[in-house]
Amino acid sequence: MLSTVLLFREALYGALVIALACSVLGVYVVLRRIVFVGAAIAQLSSAGIALALFLAGTGVIGSFAGHTTTFALAFALAGAMFFGLGGGQRAGVPPDATIGVGYAVAAAAGILLISKAASGEAHDIFLSGNILGITRADTLVLLAVTIPVLVVHALFYKEFLFVSFDRETARTLGYRVTFWNLFLYFTLGLVIAFAMQFAGVLLVFDFLVLPAVTGLLLARSMRAIFTVSVGSALLAAVIGFSISVPFDLPSGPAIIAVSGALAALAWAVRWMQHRG
Amino acid sequence: MTALITFDHATLGYGRRVVLSDITFDIPAGDFLGLVGPNGAGKTTILRAILGSLVPLQGTVATAPDVRFGYVPQRDSVDYGFPLKVLDVVMMGRYDRIGLMRRPSHSDRVLAADALDHVGIGHLADQQLNALSGGQKQRVLIARALVGEPNVLVLDEPTNGMDLVSTTQILGLVRELHERDNLTVLMVSHALNEVANYVSRIALVVERGFRIGAVADIMNEETLTQMYGIPVDVDEMHGHRIVVARRTAPEGMPVVKSGGGNA
Repeated sequence: MLSTVLLFREALYGALVIALACSVLGVYVVLRRIVFVGAAIAQLSSAGIALALFLAGTGVIGSFAGHTTTFALAFALAGAMFFGLGGGQRAGVPPDATIGVGYAVAAAAGILLISKAASGEAHDIFLSGNILGITRADTLVLLAVTIPVLVVHALFYKEFLFVSFDRETARTLGYRVTFWNLFLYFTLGLVIAFAMQFAGVLLVFDFLVLPAVTGLLLARSMRAIFTVSVGSALLAAVIGFSISVPFDLPSGPAIIAVSGALAALAWAVRWMQHRG
Repeated sequence: MTALITFDHATLGYGRRVVLSDITFDIPAGDFLGLVGPNGAGKTTILRAILGSLVPLQGTVATAPDVRFGYVPQRDSVDYGFPLKVLDVVMMGRYDRIGLMRRPSHSDRVLAADALDHVGIGHLADQQLNALSGGQKQRVLIARALVGEPNVLVLDEPTNGMDLVSTTQILGLVRELHERDNLTVLMVSHALNEVANYVSRIALVVERGFRIGAVADIMNEETLTQMYGIPVDVDEMHGHRIVVARRTAPEGMPVVKSGGGNA
């Protein structure tokens, strides 16, 4: 069993990098109550990939291979900036409705574009993700995005925390709240755009939400919630991956199932603590 | 006395919507001003202009160069879902002094602990913020404002949603900070009765306009009836002024003025 898993170790390394990046940003996603922003950005990113495939099929752009990342990134960052600026709030549309519109339209656009892309059938995998297909080069690309994002989050932890916790007071102390907010969303868009291409919408959404929820259930400080979130995401990736390969299960859903089990375990621990 | 904040014929609003026109007043050093009025009348608009987050449509709002605000937001504007200890929340009041890419130092922690002692909850430093009562949370937010070493303390609806005991304790604490630390205080509230007995001056903001003056100049029947546009009685009990809106009597019944208490 171990030897089978080791055959796909490059894919496991990639999954661990995605788990690490998403579980750190997921703490803000969960605490700021913007979990569906994560889903909508991931879906927008997949629509970008679908558009690249569609355009490649029509011959507008020569080869999709070099453009999927660009399109995924452009769509994800545009979505992140839009949601970071409050979506359609100024037009009187509630934020959650805007997120819903973004999610539904992006999902539909992705399906429509893929259905008409010349190489569509073969590339559905870009939308649903293919963890097992991650190569060493892919992992290095993921690391090249993840490391700077994590360094930024370590350096500007105070600022991201303050504008997330109490933006009014941050503003009175001279913080450019909109800038910091957009910066946070920018890092979110960046990570989602790259993670999406390998993990798919569902797994990225899982890594953004479930580990942070597990952390929130178990931890009593920000440092602890980050630690538990990262730890549970990495654990879910290793266990889910190790189960999926020998039993010929899809890796993404297997990882999500383990994430869910860890969150349920954390909830049970919390429940027992409250009873005790 | 030196004016710390000066409104000079300032017209305030958002885009084309004017909320308050042509208001002129100043807040001198050492003032204890209550900015009072119903919800939606423009208190927050004035507050934003004072804090510099709203530029007047016309006129000017000038702030003296040495002013440093300590801001206490409405309790509900803070996100209690964050698993933060009380001391960490208070430390946020020093974030701008600590600067970018730097962690709070030992002296920042000591100052935060001192601020908590100053508002009487030093023993709660290691507690989770979301485990505290409403009054304790308010004290934490006041401590956070104080740790930044302000000379103007600004409180937005500090007693909103509090019971009688907590309200009295918080207003007493604010008054104590004003007197003991010689802090200039601006307190925003919709509760005229609560604020009027603690502040030195009142700025009344209602739909019919804006008026500012000493408590005695504002807290009288003539002014309040004119400003609120409904008949109002002002009684006094044990040295406290109490404002009561006169009940509208059913048709044909005489309107009975509420009885006054002993001064």
